[in-house]
Amino acid sequence: MAGADPKWQKDAADQNFDYMFKLLIIGNSSVGKTSFLFRYADDSFTSAFVSTVGIDFKVKTVFRHDKRVKLQIWDTAGQERYRTITTAYYRGAMGFILMYDITNEESFNSVQDWVTQIKTYSWDNAQVILVGNKCDMEDDRVVSYERGKMLAEQLGVEFFETSAKENINVKAVFERLVDIICDKMSDSLDTDPTLMSGGAKGQRLTDAPQGPQATNCNC
Amino acid sequence: MNEEIDDSEFYHQDFTTASEWEIFIARMEEIINQWKTDEQNSEAPIQQCGIWEIQTEKITFADFEFNLLFYRKKNDFADTSESSEENEKQTKSPIDTLYDFELYNENDYAEHCCLSSWYGLDEYYILTPTGNVGITTESKIKTLLSSAYVVSSSLNCERPIFIQIREKWQRCYLGVYEGDGIRTNFEMVHLRKGPSHCYYLNGLLDMFKSKIMSPSSLDCVTVSVQLKYNLSDFGSFQWKQDHLDHENLDVDILPFGVTVDPVSCLVFKASWNHLADNLVMDSEGHSDFDPMTAPKWSCLVKMTSEPVCLLGDSLLEFLNNLTGNSTVYDMLGDYAALPSVESNPLDLLTEPAVPTITSLLSKAARRSSKSNRGNPPIAESILVSLLYYLFPDADENSGFPYGGKEDKENSEKTNEKGIFKNLEDEFKGFKTCSKDSLTWRLSIVLTHALQSLGGVKALAHIWYEFVQEMRYRWEKSMPIPGLAPGFPDLRTCLLNQKLQMLNCCIERKLSRENSQTQFDSAENSDDEEFFDCWSEKTEEESKRKHSLWNQPVGRLSRFGDMKLLKTGDPLYIPITQEPVLKTEDQLEEDTDVLLKLGSNAEATELRARIMSASLLSDMESFKAANPGSIVEDFIRWYSPRDWVEEEELDEWGQKKGHLSPRMLIEDNNIWVQMWESAKPVPAARQKRLFDDTREAEKVLQFLDFRTIGQICQLTIPVLAHCAIYRLAEEAHLVSAELADAAVKIQSLLRHGERISRDVKFQPRRFEAFVQEVNSLQYKFNPSGAQNETISRMVAYMVTGKEVEIEDKDNSEVGGRIVSMFTEVQKIANLVSNENSESARSATKSVFPAPAEKEFVLRVNAVKPASYSAKCPQFLKAVVNRQEFRLAGAFSDDIAFF
Repeated sequence: MAGADPKWQKDAADQNFDYMFKLLIIGNSSVGKTSFLFRYADDSFTSAFVSTVGIDFKVKTVFRHDKRVKLQIWDTAGQERYRTITTAYYRGAMGFILMYDITNEESFNSVQDWVTQIKTYSWDNAQVILVGNKCDMEDDRVVSYERGKMLAEQLGVEFFETSAKENINVKAVFERLVDIICDKMSDSLDTDPTLMSGGAKGQRLTDAPQGPQATNCNC
Repeated sequence: MNEEIDDSEFYHQDFTTASEWEIFIARMEEIINQWKTDEQNSEAPIQQCGIWEIQTEKITFADFEFNLLFYRKKNDFADTSESSEENEKQTKSPIDTLYDFELYNENDYAEHCCLSSWYGLDEYYILTPTGNVGITTESKIKTLLSSAYVVSSSLNCERPIFIQIREKWQRCYLGVYEGDGIRTNFEMVHLRKGPSHCYYLNGLLDMFKSKIMSPSSLDCVTVSVQLKYNLSDFGSFQWKQDHLDHENLDVDILPFGVTVDPVSCLVFKASWNHLADNLVMDSEGHSDFDPMTAPKWSCLVKMTSEPVCLLGDSLLEFLNNLTGNSTVYDMLGDYAALPSVESNPLDLLTEPAVPTITSLLSKAARRSSKSNRGNPPIAESILVSLLYYLFPDADENSGFPYGGKEDKENSEKTNEKGIFKNLEDEFKGFKTCSKDSLTWRLSIVLTHALQSLGGVKALAHIWYEFVQEMRYRWEKSMPIPGLAPGFPDLRTCLLNQKLQMLNCCIERKLSRENSQTQFDSAENSDDEEFFDCWSEKTEEESKRKHSLWNQPVGRLSRFGDMKLLKTGDPLYIPITQEPVLKTEDQLEEDTDVLLKLGSNAEATELRARIMSASLLSDMESFKAANPGSIVEDFIRWYSPRDWVEEEELDEWGQKKGHLSPRMLIEDNNIWVQMWESAKPVPAARQKRLFDDTREAEKVLQFLDFRTIGQICQLTIPVLAHCAIYRLAEEAHLVSAELADAAVKIQSLLRHGERISRDVKFQPRRFEAFVQEVNSLQYKFNPSGAQNETISRMVAYMVTGKEVEIEDKDNSEVGGRIVSMFTEVQKIANLVSNENSESARSATKSVFPAPAEKEFVLRVNAVKPASYSAKCPQFLKAVVNRQEFRLAGAFSDDIAFF
């Protein structure tokens, strides 16, 4: 059904990138995942988005070392009930942005839980960045920067405090994540050439042990 | 005019232009100088080959192309020993080393390294024509040799320069070295057959002395001898695989091993080092060199090249069939009918309602015989045993219950000192299945089918029977054994996911049928009884409160002490529909659909609609369980963060609150829209989000219509996993300490992990390797007793290295070698009993005539004049049945002559 629409065809033709990374933003409900993604992809901020139903995505192409890296960023619903649906999309993700809300203790306490989810459902070398969002709301802060930093160190991941509203560190988070993934990729390139080809389209992203896939889906 | 001679035309030869020969020499010097500076800066682009570092440059002489090579040993053991022992000596000629016979190491082999073993050199240059062209004409040889002389003398390059002459296979070299006022000429003789006296030391000595032509009398010549014996007939110690007969097929393990003895030849060497020439006697009539008296013994083994490896071959077979396009039904022809024809609905009626578990296999067998129009590729008896292996739940006394093996192994694992601390951990990244699961066993059975039960047809047959069984189990709602419980695990391979999916469908079908009967009976009985299930007082109240058509249904439990905002009734968590299960291929299709929508706002909304089915279902269940509820109530349960509590209390004694701003968005708020459209319907009566009947049929169809190639594709990842596991097991059983085994398995693991994502595999080399070790163990240690010395030696030899045998025939290995040779000799004696001469020589020694003899003669002689310095002279003779080679190096004093 997609092929008929000219708009989709345009998207499908948009194949000119060198790598494609699949990223996921996860975290408790209403920590600001959707706003964060909109700030990055569209550079806009709306105080309220309708709570995400299931899963959604946005695309952004960035340049790194003269390579076009297409980011396919999946935004997930944080509600408990959506876990089974969203975790199904973890596989094949190369990076995770694990987000909590610095004004909400519970969302911070859930971080460990989310890490377990990542460990269970993603592949081993997926990269994770811990993000404490809403850092503009200093008055309502209940999770200190230090606690976030400490937890990140414990988990062995990098840490940022961000604000989608004030556009603080949003771009930095994505850039850093892309960097980590690229580094990891060049590390393992010698031992695993499939990553290289997989970067553009395919095997490692989907993990399906099958041959050529539909080549022209517009991802 | 005519008399005028044009001078310029007449003397046209331009003497300033260098000749091709000069250019050639200049180029050689340039390259060698370049290498020297590279060496100092240690930044040369070096090709590594075992212990050799090799540098190559192309060089042309006229239009003839040569390679100039630089050979250097990486870690110079010789250098250190030399410096310690021979520092006092004023001359330090490269041939003046004391090692005559190096221990052979297969891994260090490089094309021109023979020069090192003949002359004991560590560093040298070689000039060799490119391609397979030999330098055969005398004039060419002379020209090249002269070039080497020129380069060597002008550069003072401290390393010998060799040129390769004659045909390449002859490995014939000439060379020169110049340094410290001495020039050494390296000369070589290579013949098919040498003069008979030269096969013995005395003859060689005479020749050596006369060749030196020293004006004064010679010192004592130092002699080293090495005799080499080949043992390729191992007699009763010919190693054979234990379980190679197909009669007693081990269904539960993959075939493993090689079909021939992987060790083709044992080379035994006896050496004498640095004897004085006047102390030993070796001629045609008598020889002092009896291997039993040799001071040094060593041995190495030669492996059969490319032996047939069962495991490797069976995997290869799968790879070969990857392109197979025919379906199982094409392969089986008449024998198997398409399922639609096969399943007679009347059969279902005549079948007993509760099938006995054993009826299942007999049914499978009956089915085969019923439609037995063609001959089944696999005989029924074998087929049944295979099916029993796959489905042990059909036989109460099964030898292969799922999970049974695991426990035993876990207890063993504690005192296991395997190659890997925990082998299971190594397979974490494999996208396959858990060990000894149904998927695992299926792949093993398919391997047997393909390998030894009749090839592709047998494979198709097994697959057909397997799918039949799956269908049968689905129809009869019998759980499939040997699968991890729960949702399809996306970390496993697709085949495993499909089977898990089918199992989930069976489970849901079962629970659906159970609840159906419960529900029916409940409806038949009194209404009061039905609602007694949730016997609570409030129940009664709410029942009275709500009109008959608005009774609460499908309650799971109370949600804390929350009460509905409007009515004050307790808030109940509804029974919801089970989550939708997806295998990875379905998930991928879904993702594709979502992706194809694009990434604009409309697409986002559309995606939300697609994903909202489960939201709607939950809302309907909620409404059904909580009559009189409003959207706020739902949100409080479903997305508590979107409910902002206030301090005030409401009339029911709970905190007041309001929805979060985002839930209050009026424009296109899917949550509100959904709530409005949701009708109070309990989960049990809703349209099923996950239609297990349809999904099960999809899985069965998927399995049914796989082509041979697709079956192989589904199986290979699992097989790679099984195979590596098997290798690791075998490697562990081998008692020798395999130095490289861990590394090799590691690389296979890495490889296998990739295969489990993309198909291609080759464990063959390692299989042969393990078998080589087994064979050697058997030869040296037939009793099988633990012996660390032997194990260590075997581990060393199997990597292609020569080992020295300490204590000679008093050691166990030495003793074994002697007895093996003796055995062969005895047989040889029996055969040639008539021939008295050979019998006599054979009784003399346990060893046959040596396969190869090597002699090294060294002396320092005054040359060429009587007042010259003493210069090292050297001759190495390598004689065997194929060739006669003399490699000599004769030095002259070039300062005083």
